[in-house]
Amino acid sequence: MAVGTHGESFMETDPPSPPGSAPHGGTGLGLEGLAQVAGKIREAVESVIEGKSAVVRLALTVLLAEGHLLIEDVPGVGKTMLAKSLARSIDCSVRRVQFTPDLLPSDITGVSAYNQEQREFEFKPGPVFANIVVGDEINRASPKTQSALLECMEERQVTVDGTTYALDRPFMVIATQNPVEMEGTYPLPEAQRDRFTARISMGYPDPAAELEMLDAHGRSSPLDRLGPVAHDADVRELIEVVRHQHVAPAVRQYAIDLVTATRGHPELRLGASPRATLHLVRAARAYAALDERDYVLPDDLQDLAVPVLAHRLLPTAEAQVERRRPEHVVAELVARLPVPSLRQ
Amino acid sequence: MTIVAGLATLAGSAGLYPLFSGGGWFVHALGAVVAVMAGGMLVRRFRVPAVFSAFGGVAALHLYLTAVHVPGAAWLGVIPTPSSERALADLIGDGWQAANQYAAPVPLVPGISLLAAAGVGLVAVLVDLLAVRLRRAAPAGLPLLAMYSVPAAVREDDVSWLAFGLGALGFLALLMSDSREQVGGWGRAVFTPRWSEEVPMAGAGAPQDGPARGERPDSSALAASGRRIGAAAVAVAVLLPAAVPGIHPRGLFGMGGGGEGDGGLRTVTTPDPLVSLKRELARQDDSVVLTYRSDDPAGPDYLRLYALDRFDGDRWTYNALQSSEEDRLAGRTLPAAPGLGAAPSHVVKTRVQVRPEVKRMTFLPVPYAPARVSIKGDWRVHPASLMVYSLRDSAGGRSFTVESIRAQPSGAELAAASSAPSDILDQYASVPGNVPPQVKALAREVTSGATTGYGQAVRLQRWFTEKGGFRYDLAAQPPQHGGELADFLLHNRRGYCEQFAAGMAVMARVLGIPSRVAMGYTPGEQNRAGEWTVRSRDAHAWPELYFEGAGWVRFEPTPAGPAGQGTAVAPAYSEPSSDAPGREAGQENAPKPGSPSSEPEPGTPGSGPRHNQDLGPADGPAAEPVITDDDGGGGFPMAWLGAALLVALMLLSVPLVVRLLSRRRHWAAVAPRGKKPRRDAPPRRRGPSPGIGRDPDPADAAHAAWGEMRADALDHGLDWRASDSPRAVARRLGELLELDDPGSGALGRIAHAEELARYSRSQQAVPPESLKADVRTVREAFAASVGRGTRLRARLLPPSTVDLTFSVLRGAGGRTLEAANRLDDLAGRLGRRVRRKDRGHPE
Repeated sequence: MAVGTHGESFMETDPPSPPGSAPHGGTGLGLEGLAQVAGKIREAVESVIEGKSAVVRLALTVLLAEGHLLIEDVPGVGKTMLAKSLARSIDCSVRRVQFTPDLLPSDITGVSAYNQEQREFEFKPGPVFANIVVGDEINRASPKTQSALLECMEERQVTVDGTTYALDRPFMVIATQNPVEMEGTYPLPEAQRDRFTARISMGYPDPAAELEMLDAHGRSSPLDRLGPVAHDADVRELIEVVRHQHVAPAVRQYAIDLVTATRGHPELRLGASPRATLHLVRAARAYAALDERDYVLPDDLQDLAVPVLAHRLLPTAEAQVERRRPEHVVAELVARLPVPSLRQ
Repeated sequence: MTIVAGLATLAGSAGLYPLFSGGGWFVHALGAVVAVMAGGMLVRRFRVPAVFSAFGGVAALHLYLTAVHVPGAAWLGVIPTPSSERALADLIGDGWQAANQYAAPVPLVPGISLLAAAGVGLVAVLVDLLAVRLRRAAPAGLPLLAMYSVPAAVREDDVSWLAFGLGALGFLALLMSDSREQVGGWGRAVFTPRWSEEVPMAGAGAPQDGPARGERPDSSALAASGRRIGAAAVAVAVLLPAAVPGIHPRGLFGMGGGGEGDGGLRTVTTPDPLVSLKRELARQDDSVVLTYRSDDPAGPDYLRLYALDRFDGDRWTYNALQSSEEDRLAGRTLPAAPGLGAAPSHVVKTRVQVRPEVKRMTFLPVPYAPARVSIKGDWRVHPASLMVYSLRDSAGGRSFTVESIRAQPSGAELAAASSAPSDILDQYASVPGNVPPQVKALAREVTSGATTGYGQAVRLQRWFTEKGGFRYDLAAQPPQHGGELADFLLHNRRGYCEQFAAGMAVMARVLGIPSRVAMGYTPGEQNRAGEWTVRSRDAHAWPELYFEGAGWVRFEPTPAGPAGQGTAVAPAYSEPSSDAPGREAGQENAPKPGSPSSEPEPGTPGSGPRHNQDLGPADGPAAEPVITDDDGGGGFPMAWLGAALLVALMLLSVPLVVRLLSRRRHWAAVAPRGKKPRRDAPPRRRGPSPGIGRDPDPADAAHAAWGEMRADALDHGLDWRASDSPRAVARRLGELLELDDPGSGALGRIAHAEELARYSRSQQAVPPESLKADVRTVREAFAASVGRGTRLRARLLPPSTVDLTFSVLRGAGGRTLEAANRLDDLAGRLGRRVRRKDRGHPE
């Protein structure tokens, strides 16, 4: 069972309560403003998740890249905690869905119920109608239900009974899942995995961080103390800033090279999709922005290659037998591909 | 497979061409190979053990040889009978003898062509057995190589690249065909056809070549790379020796010899002079070699065949002659005799009639120095030694006229001769380093008191003929090993003209007098007025010494008269003082041949062979003894060593120079432009157009600094990964080298500038000067962090130049690969067409 599930209902709504510390807002956030806001969010999240700054940074990157995040790890390392703390530190609507095997697609997207008073069908929006949707243990649901997320994640809209409803922005799905080898799990379909910008894994905390965690969690849950530090409007602006990050042609070419290399790799049955290229460059923009850079470096792509690409790749049977995981393949590609040196 | 094996054998046998004159042998070899192949195939039909399959080939070869060479004696012209076997054996004996007699290229007498066909046929049997029957294609290269190595071992010059290439390609074809069959042995390859192009539309006719394309696995890429590797290997093998200094493929792009009539230089290969002379001398009867008439008032001079100008420590030989069209006699006046100047001389006309029985006399016996020779046929002259020779004609049975200039210097003139020019000294006065010191001391001791070269020469000759206690002895045991010339000079002092001539020539060289050994005939004896007869026993060897003004003059150290070489005559100038005793100056007084002690008894079997050696300095006793190799001695090894060192230094400094130049170019490109407009400025994407007086693109400075730093890192042996971005490089190098603050700061600045230049939107102009200073700081930091050896190498032999060269070559390589691909496509298309035509062919 995942740590940090408060309440056993499969749906939970965090009301957008205006906390005491009103987040700093305003228009015209430049790169400096972005760094400032992002720094606050990071701080807030790291007050809950100790010693995982790289993971937090990745999560933030995905948020700014308008992507969706898949957190995969064994139970109890703080997947849900990360998802919830990130969601809470932003002043926006957050919904949490606990995926179970009997969850139905309409439980996620919403249903049209017959309103007897008005004698017509009325749409009851499901939990996806929020800025941040935390899907806990997403791979415990049946593939059919998992697929219900497909349309919302890519097109940011929901179609129920022929009517299409647009979703709010920012919209981010943070899903956690247990490793596919665990019991009672359904692996995510490739199409859905491809829609997640990045997959990260938490890893165990180091002993010092764990000790600190004991102290912090001993008294009260730090999550309860966490208030929003940024408005959803801030996040929208940050996303706008990220969109205008400069990507030099050489860097774009490098991204193409990386992705192309996965497609022809002998140990991979399925290479990365063009969507993966898009996600990679988009994430690299956000990653550079978090670094207060207005241009993307090959280093950004290198750092992001494994989280952004690895979960989309399928190893061949031989590679599986040799226990070669796609992560290894991507890391090896990164170490091998020459970095573009010319500007053209 | 059988056919390919046969073709490979034939291609390999192409390397034999320098051994034979004419191409007729190839027809015989072809026949033999075909016979062997047929025999092998026939035997294989019966599925007998491998050993018998070889017998089948041998038997077929035997039948073929019988049918071609002794059809008369065989039953039905093919089946061997005892008499045909005897005839065959005789023929083989003839061929064997001929092969021993001649140096390559040998004339194509029936015995030789029989031997050639048999040899090639046997190789074909082996190749067939190994490659076809035993399925070991690779070892089948060994017999091919053996065949190829025959000419390489026999001939000093190289086998032409074309023949080598043919042989190599034949072997490659054999390997390829073998692998193809092995793959084929697994049955038809299973693969997934590309249905899109194979499925015919309903109603449309089936595509012509659809099934053919569908049957074959898609191994074209593999095959293409295989072909490429093979072709490249052969090309490298052919071309590399040309590029390596010290190996001179003389035959490159010109057949190495034996070919006819092309204008290029060729190495003359004749029957070994000594061997052919031996043969003539070995005749039991003292046969007449030639007769001549001479109008020389002073009596005829010696008739010279060869001038042996090279003493290699064991023997006197002549350097391989380089023959070309310009050397043809063609009725012209021959080159002037070297060194002949002020000394009195007169023209002598000699008409020589060589007996028809004389075989293979490919060098003309002419009095020195020939000025004009009239003879039919393709005769040529060697300009330096004035030897007259032919590549294909023999003088036997011919008559010819020689106009020669005979120098008759006086002793005083020779004594007054100035020193010889340096090229003559270099070539003719060098002594191998291993001449025993006793011989050198002896030479000085014998000639002590003489002040001039001429005086020394006279004393030497007198020492040999009178004072030294030498005995002319044809019965002496022929020397067997080196050092015996020294023995002859120092101890036993018994020998023939050859030892005398070689000994005097060597001692003259020790004394610094240019010398060589001449071979030919003494004047012989006069039987009627004006008509001279030269017999085989008149064969002789004598030294020629060089004196400026008179040229090459003859000396005669061999004792003449009854107790020596019967018809030998010492020239007048060699005996200036009153003591010209028994040896007369005029040939008229030459002792009659046949004097009991002077001549080898013609009839006795033992005398013949010994006399042979008398004439063969090259393999005879005289030369073998003392010394080895005169190329190593003398003064010029030092010069060579110096030159080689210089060249080596220059080669070694190439990387350094390249590095300095590239560094200069890097920075020159970013230096702020002055008055001079740069026309060749590379076009830039974003920077200002290469106009006059505009500052260069700031990115260029960063790139230059980065490139410089990269080169420095490579020079210092630091790992540079292509997958590292600038900041990754800076981080890694900083950690690796534990750079101090200034170093890592400079490194970081360079990396940052490069990063901005490469990837950022904005242009931040970093002054090139500061970058240059940073690069210098980083270089010093690099140098401080590596060992001394690496540091020195970075200075003197910067490895980064290799990288630079590669990057230049890579462009060329890419283009070449493209061209190769296109060629390959073409070949593949042609091959497919051919295969389509002869589909169903058994092998």
